[in-house]
Amino acid sequence: MPASATWARPEDLVESLSSLDNTARLKALRDVKNQIIGNKTKKLSYIKLGAVPRVVEILASDTEIPLLVQSAAAVGSFACGIDAGVRAVLDSGVLPHLLKMLQNGDTKVAETCARALKMIFHSPLAPKSDMFQGHRMELLLQLLNHDNENVSEVAARVLARCCESKEHQQALADAGGLQSLVSLLAGSTKIREAALDALAALTKNNKQISETVIKMHNGDALISIIRLIKDKSPLSRLLACMCLANIGKACPGGYAQEGEVRATMLGILMKLLEEAGQAGEDSPGVLADLVANNEELQKAAAEKKAIEKLAEFLLREEVPYKQLEGVLWGLTELCAKLEESRRQLLELKVEGSLVAALRHPCEGVKVAACSCIASLSRSVKNLRTSLASEQFVRPLLQLMNDPCPGVQGAALTVVGNIVLDFTPQKLVFMQTDGIAQLTNLSQSMDHTLRRNAVLALKNLLFMADVTVKRRVMAELTVSTLCDLIRDPEEEVQEQAVSLVRNLVHGDPDFIEQIFSDGSMLFQAVEKQLTNHRLEVSVQALYVMNNVACGSEVHKEAVLASVLRSRSGNKSSWLICFLQDMSNPQLRVVAVVCIINLLDPAGGDISSRVMRLREAGVEAQLRKMVDDSCLDVKYHVKSALECFTPATVTTSSGR
Amino acid sequence: MPGHTLPPPCTFLNVGQAFAGTQNVSNMQKDEAWKVNVRLQGVDMQSGYLCGSMEALNVPAAETPVVTFWEGEIVDNRNYSFYTGQWDATKETDVKHWSKFASFLELREEVQKDGGKSIDLVNHPYIFMRWKEKFFVNVGTDCGLTIAGFYYVCFSRSDGSVNGFYYDPNSRYAAYNYDLLNVVLGNVLCSPYQKLELKATNEGRAGHSFATYQFQ
Repeated sequence: MPASATWARPEDLVESLSSLDNTARLKALRDVKNQIIGNKTKKLSYIKLGAVPRVVEILASDTEIPLLVQSAAAVGSFACGIDAGVRAVLDSGVLPHLLKMLQNGDTKVAETCARALKMIFHSPLAPKSDMFQGHRMELLLQLLNHDNENVSEVAARVLARCCESKEHQQALADAGGLQSLVSLLAGSTKIREAALDALAALTKNNKQISETVIKMHNGDALISIIRLIKDKSPLSRLLACMCLANIGKACPGGYAQEGEVRATMLGILMKLLEEAGQAGEDSPGVLADLVANNEELQKAAAEKKAIEKLAEFLLREEVPYKQLEGVLWGLTELCAKLEESRRQLLELKVEGSLVAALRHPCEGVKVAACSCIASLSRSVKNLRTSLASEQFVRPLLQLMNDPCPGVQGAALTVVGNIVLDFTPQKLVFMQTDGIAQLTNLSQSMDHTLRRNAVLALKNLLFMADVTVKRRVMAELTVSTLCDLIRDPEEEVQEQAVSLVRNLVHGDPDFIEQIFSDGSMLFQAVEKQLTNHRLEVSVQALYVMNNVACGSEVHKEAVLASVLRSRSGNKSSWLICFLQDMSNPQLRVVAVVCIINLLDPAGGDISSRVMRLREAGVEAQLRKMVDDSCLDVKYHVKSALECFTPATVTTSSGR
Repeated sequence: MPGHTLPPPCTFLNVGQAFAGTQNVSNMQKDEAWKVNVRLQGVDMQSGYLCGSMEALNVPAAETPVVTFWEGEIVDNRNYSFYTGQWDATKETDVKHWSKFASFLELREEVQKDGGKSIDLVNHPYIFMRWKEKFFVNVGTDCGLTIAGFYYVCFSRSDGSVNGFYYDPNSRYAAYNYDLLNVVLGNVLCSPYQKLELKATNEGRAGHSFATYQFQ
């Protein structure tokens, strides 16, 4: 800009944008555009003065090429790097006009509009589902094959940003998007990168589309992507790795050379971590997807010092939020199973940074931080040492009330781990309103939150003393617990029944709780003994076993339940479990339950021996003396000793 | 790695299970035994891992009971073998210590031949483990006890009884007495030193109860 240039007053310039004189309009457009480039203050000031709707109006109604070019360029400038600008252009209804102008016969118009769209879609504020409405998707797909590379690049970029749900992915694939994108892989670097970006969006968590890509063109499409992991452009390498990590995660073992490709990608991604720009910022998240559910790769990554490298970013003062999120996800996956990796990470003193991430303004970072702490907390040792300080509990309790359900759920998952008996955090939890919060979440409409809240309460009751048990039951109440045992979701039922299992374990006095309020809890659990889902029925069996460790009255109640469950040719639940060959654990617990029923500590057992014998239990045990499971065999032997006359008459103990 | 099926259940190796007994720490000069309580806090049979707390009562050198946290390796020939390969334990140390368990003697030849890698330990009546104390929970390192060594443990599936021998490579005194005794008794009888003897306990309940928790 020449130093001598002078502009009219901003108010006058804005007025001129609606001038009837084309030359005046063009000049005003140019002046506004030149003033706002790279200047946030000017952008905000012109937005306030109402410049944006006037600029968009020119794009919508003018036909002269210079006016169209300048208005599209001004739109792009407003939308560049400032949320208020993106919001202003979107509110002015610019999208349909920009899309329409992409088809303009003039290359400069099409290219400028493409650039403006690119700016808009850099922002998270850009509409997503809107692009799948009407004929917009078809238009974008047509533009993928546009002669002008800039236009097809933008079409691919927009598709990459908008494709967020399974429905979007399917709609694009059904309309032939995959074919077009794969054919763009042969183009220039920037078009190839845009195509890879869109292919990554299409394959993310989508088994069907991933399989299609594997099989496309007899495997040639996949080979083209594999080739690009060694491209000279770091961003191409990253995006190719992103596609292949998505494909590998969605259909593990989906192609012959997968193991080899994954190992190569690991090395490439490790190097990309050090790159500047998008390639470096996005690489931790891709690394996370690559090693997810693959212990071998997790080990290999740890050997390549992946934990140290990622932790280095975590410990930095300023990291872009997207990169921080990726780093946390990378660490989540690397520490998901391997204790050695957890140790490595905690030795790097990352606790403070993790707590800071829990308080980050961005939801994605908060969820990733919770997941990372969840990975670290899957270890009794860590719960007793590095994670034992109060600093994690309070922010996590706060996040359980977060307005975002994703954050709430992620915080709840960690809380479930940290409330275990051996952690000092349990005390903090008891001193705050943690139990009330969990009780509230156990009644959430979202069944995953409900399940995880009940699981956390169950963990809280593991080896808990009477005080904790009383507090939990006072908050939760017997009737709510009964409702949870009868919840429509089986996963909730399973957790609720196993919560009762912990409730009646430990202090023999607390077994009485299951018989309060007219034995409501006992009856609710009893019904679940015959649940078709084994995970639920086995927990009910454990509850019966634990109750059978109580007083004479408790043992009698369990025995009565066994006898009550027989009718006609139908065997009792106890016999059914003894005969179940699907899992030896069921037979073990059933036999231990019999031993508990006949535990002589309580007094005369001859009557119970008789009734169990009449119920066919002794005969069934005799059939099990050579059970394939050693544990069953030992306990059957002990149980049968309880049926021998000497034991019955003298109650001499085992 | 072979064996993708779930390991068979083991009633007495469950989280929350308590054990009680003694640790004999006698030496040539005196007879001494501490009461010991152990509780399992983590069990993962699939990866051959377990952990828990160990409480030593009436320790003369300490004013309060001493609680340690320990981690264990289950010798399952999938995750861990009879050979320790760490904690300053040589193959000879391993065989010498395992041999103190009568139930190991029938396995010794195979272990000496190829590490015993073809022995079916999944269906063996005894489970061999190593328990390594990691840190003191309630006292400082100046409590008069050491956690430098580790226990060779033999666990009975049938009744949950635990026998263990402590190996401390740093304790020359113990090693001296130990070897002396082995020479005298021909390396067959158990050394009385640092012997752990525990029994599974129901902690006052009239039966065997199972607690549970689940990591997410």
